[in-house]
Amino acid sequence: MVADLAIYTVVHQPRRLKLPAQPIPRGATIEDITHCLFDERMNERYFRKVAQYSYYPAARMFLDLVRQGMRLSIGFSISFLRQAAAWDKDLLALFRELVAEENVELIGVEPYHSFLFLLDMPAFVQRMQGMVDELEGIFGKRPVVTDTTEMCMSATLYNALDMAGFRGAVMDGRPWVMDWRESTHLYRNGDEAPYVVPIEGGKTRTRSQSKPEQNPPYLLTRHLELSDDVGYRFSNRSWSGYPLFADTYADWIASTWGDLMMIGWDFETFGEHHRVDSGIFDFMRALPEQLARRNVTTYTASALIDRHAEQANHLPLPVYPTTWAGSGGMEFFLGNSAQQTILQLMNHVYGMAKLTENPELIDLAMWLAQSDNLHLIQWYGRSGPEAEVSAYFTPSEWWNLGPNGVIHEQQQVYLNALRAMEPYLPARLARQTKRKSTRGRTQRPKRELAGAHGK
Amino acid sequence: MMNLDGAIAPENTLFVLLCFEGPDVYSTAGGLGTRVTELSEALATQGYTTQLIFIGDPYKPATELRVDGKLILRRWAQWVSKYYPNGVYDGEEQKLYDYNDSVPYYIYNEVVRPAVAEGKTVVIMGEDWHTVEVMCRTSDLLNWYGVRGKTLMLWNLNSLMSLHRINWGRLNFVTTLCTVSKYMKHKMWELGVNPLVIPNGIPVRHLDPIDSEAVSRLRAIVQRGDPQRLFLFKIGRFDPDKRWMMAIEAVARLKDNGYPVTMLVRGGIEPHGADVLRHAYHRGLQIQDIVAQRPNLEQCFNALEQAPTADIYNLRFFLPEEFVRATYASADATLANSGHEPFGLVALEVMAAQGIAVTGSTGEDYAVSFENAIVTETDDPDEIVGYLLYLRRHPDEQERIRTNGYLSAKQFLWDRVIENLVGKLEFLARKQNIVFPTAQIESSEHKELMGQKAVGDPILGELPV
Repeated sequence: MVADLAIYTVVHQPRRLKLPAQPIPRGATIEDITHCLFDERMNERYFRKVAQYSYYPAARMFLDLVRQGMRLSIGFSISFLRQAAAWDKDLLALFRELVAEENVELIGVEPYHSFLFLLDMPAFVQRMQGMVDELEGIFGKRPVVTDTTEMCMSATLYNALDMAGFRGAVMDGRPWVMDWRESTHLYRNGDEAPYVVPIEGGKTRTRSQSKPEQNPPYLLTRHLELSDDVGYRFSNRSWSGYPLFADTYADWIASTWGDLMMIGWDFETFGEHHRVDSGIFDFMRALPEQLARRNVTTYTASALIDRHAEQANHLPLPVYPTTWAGSGGMEFFLGNSAQQTILQLMNHVYGMAKLTENPELIDLAMWLAQSDNLHLIQWYGRSGPEAEVSAYFTPSEWWNLGPNGVIHEQQQVYLNALRAMEPYLPARLARQTKRKSTRGRTQRPKRELAGAHGK
Repeated sequence: MMNLDGAIAPENTLFVLLCFEGPDVYSTAGGLGTRVTELSEALATQGYTTQLIFIGDPYKPATELRVDGKLILRRWAQWVSKYYPNGVYDGEEQKLYDYNDSVPYYIYNEVVRPAVAEGKTVVIMGEDWHTVEVMCRTSDLLNWYGVRGKTLMLWNLNSLMSLHRINWGRLNFVTTLCTVSKYMKHKMWELGVNPLVIPNGIPVRHLDPIDSEAVSRLRAIVQRGDPQRLFLFKIGRFDPDKRWMMAIEAVARLKDNGYPVTMLVRGGIEPHGADVLRHAYHRGLQIQDIVAQRPNLEQCFNALEQAPTADIYNLRFFLPEEFVRATYASADATLANSGHEPFGLVALEVMAAQGIAVTGSTGEDYAVSFENAIVTETDDPDEIVGYLLYLRRHPDEQERIRTNGYLSAKQFLWDRVIENLVGKLEFLARKQNIVFPTAQIESSEHKELMGQKAVGDPILGELPV
């Protein structure tokens, strides 16, 4: 039965697009392009709201709990951290205080919360390495275990994380990936099998991190049912498990077969997805004691890997990524025509930005590749619980546009970005400079003439 | 006890005017810019704190105070305008988005909230289709914050452009619709709404006497030694609505019939200008372009004087106001013969300059034919020819029309128009249960006085509480 538990939570706020799409002035500076693409006023409004109802009370709660001995793994998107730095430094300080605790492990998260790995895998590797440095700069801890975006994982992603030098990664324990396996064991997708003969002339694995990892990353698979009982169903009055109390939940964990368990939630589960009057804070505050009574001990993700590294099992990974969103496959993000169009547009914008060779525009394109822009339109042409979740995350202000209006305007944002980047293409810049210098040459005689006249 | 007589006064009311156009050269494209510039100045001159939020010159200060600080110019969307050097409507959609997006919050945070805290009422007036969305959003925002009832919101239609972009139901719900003439009121009936009419106005300086020497000199220059030569003037955008073709054809027919004419024309950059000048050319009229760089009155005269003789002088430079007014006064007629004119400010300015305006018969409510102007009722050029020849035969009629025109124009000074506006605002305020405290209430002396009376005055003491 499970006696080792890792609790993982991830803090993220999207950088929402400005809808309806703001037309971008021709020849706009990158700062002005950015201003037109993202609705920072709305982002700030949502940020402050969630900070009030969730971030502050939940961070304080977790701070109390880890000081009492509970161990926690926590990840932050850079998207969130930049908003916190801009709009609420006190909150950022509170999270720093939390992460500084010995019982807290900092988990890596794809910095932009983007689907960059669908567009440019080498760039993804680079950004994940950059993320480690950035998080270390902010929190003073260097993540060695990482999440991606929406807990996506595939064979290719795994190899990318391996290349980036991570010791471990989290993924969702979806039945279609786990097959006959339980998520209550430690896994990895090693290079021992199926190849037993070394590939001749093959390059050795390159790692940019200071301490190269000798083994391929371990995989902690999130327990789907028990995670969603809290993350998704906790305040659902029609759920057979409602109301869920800490003792019951601890019972369920303790009676699950396996070596270990990782449960993972959005940080916003506390106070935002489930409001304070749902009892979610009382539940969480009571949970460590109830776990202890049942001999379940909490560990950080790395500690859990340490304890079970010798018993790690092989987990074949799919080509198509799994995710913790929706039904566990990319169809949650790419299942309707509107989402597919946006992905294409993300690709076009990213390609255009790469062509400009302008780092700021490439950065902008990565923001536009944020997964949330696909998450928020999953509801298009659909109904049911997944569509309800998607619609829940869609900013209420957008509904004035109507469903088709939201889709149209979202696409327009990408089209505007594409057009706005065109003047930055090196060939165009070169022609522009040439035209300017040609005009300068033709004007010179006039000035000289004027000077002569003056004499 | 408060003396609440419902009177709007500078002490209890602020104005916010929303318009794309404004007083900057960058912001002026037509009559709308003139209207808001003069209306805002007139309100400020009367003592009302007035903010004009417009698409201003990107290289001028974002905020500028005029009229002893009573008029506050807010140049909006300057960061967008920097990318669009060709005036207010260059980059229109980009500017519109920014305007709609940011102005409502500014109005709430910086104008209405402080005004409400001081017990003042804010009158917000939007102009033309560009301000429809911003008016709706502002109303929604003020409603959200519970202060919509403390404001009066009016939206005024000056032109029929882009009406298809307006959600009339929504706009009519959140604002009181206004327009500038009965003609426009009837036009708007077709859209299912019934606006109040508040006419345009002219500033008092338009009634200043015009230098008679300048008038004589201009006539002498234009007539080229032929006192029988008719002197006509037409100014406005090159827009088919202005009936430029009718005017040109009338000049050609006069010439064909042995009546030489000199016509000064000042159009815009619109492509219809090419049609107009081509027609003039094909009708055998001699055209002379005149260019100058921001000339003064004297330089205008010189430029005309030095130009070769022609039937039509195409003035391709910015005309100083004193030159325009001198031309109105000198000309035998100014052809403001539009087929569609919401109000027709040009004709009113002609009348103020004691000129003879030949108007169309749409929005020019002030024009009474052969009393204070000449009103054409068809697009037949012969109508203009006939009326001009009639006036030529009756110089006394000309003088009477000039005098009556001047007197009529006096009735449309902005001060008079503002009286009309205030009257309507008080009616609207009553419907909204807005109470305007009188200035006296605000003064401490008054409070003291009231306090003394309440204690010592037996009459007040007997009043029921």
